[in-house]
Amino acid sequence: MEILRVVDELVCTRRVPGMQLSALRVLENAQGALSVATDPVGAPPGKWVFVTAGSAARLAMKDATTITDLTICGIIDRWEEEAGKIGAMQNS
Amino acid sequence: MKIMRVEKTLVSTNRIDAFGHRPLLVVQDKPGGPRSVAVDAVGCVPGDWVLCVGSSAARDAAGAKDFPSDLTIVGIIDRWDGEKS
Repeated sequence: MEILRVVDELVCTRRVPGMQLSALRVLENAQGALSVATDPVGAPPGKWVFVTAGSAARLAMKDATTITDLTICGIIDRWEEEAGKIGAMQNS
Repeated sequence: MKIMRVEKTLVSTNRIDAFGHRPLLVVQDKPGGPRSVAVDAVGCVPGDWVLCVGSSAARDAAGAKDFPSDLTIVGIIDRWDGEKS
């Protein structure tokens, strides 16, 4: 599982039926690369989360038939050191 | 399988039900390397060098075929010289 930070919510109305009504989030890693994950937890922007990839991402959804390859599994209670690093990157 | 080093425990109160109360650990390829999160199936402590499995083996090793893990610790290495790797 990877540690990523929620940047924003993602609205995507027109989608394949297999994706169902799952909420989407834009995530950023410590290097600043973006990815999109389905979110069964309800993670707000700014929070650090851990995500599962591949076929495990589908099992992490309440409905395992949902089409996804990246799912947020939980919000990390405390994650400080990387926060400063990302803030510095955005300012530079 | 990959050889990784346990850095610290990860606390996540708000998590999906499927994860239950399984312990999570932050692991690194090498000290100072990129971090990942792994489910701990053996019971290790920070500083241990461990053996991790990925993909569907990770789900099986975590306790059930439908457990949503993509990285699980399956063993603690008795002796490993971290400087060598």
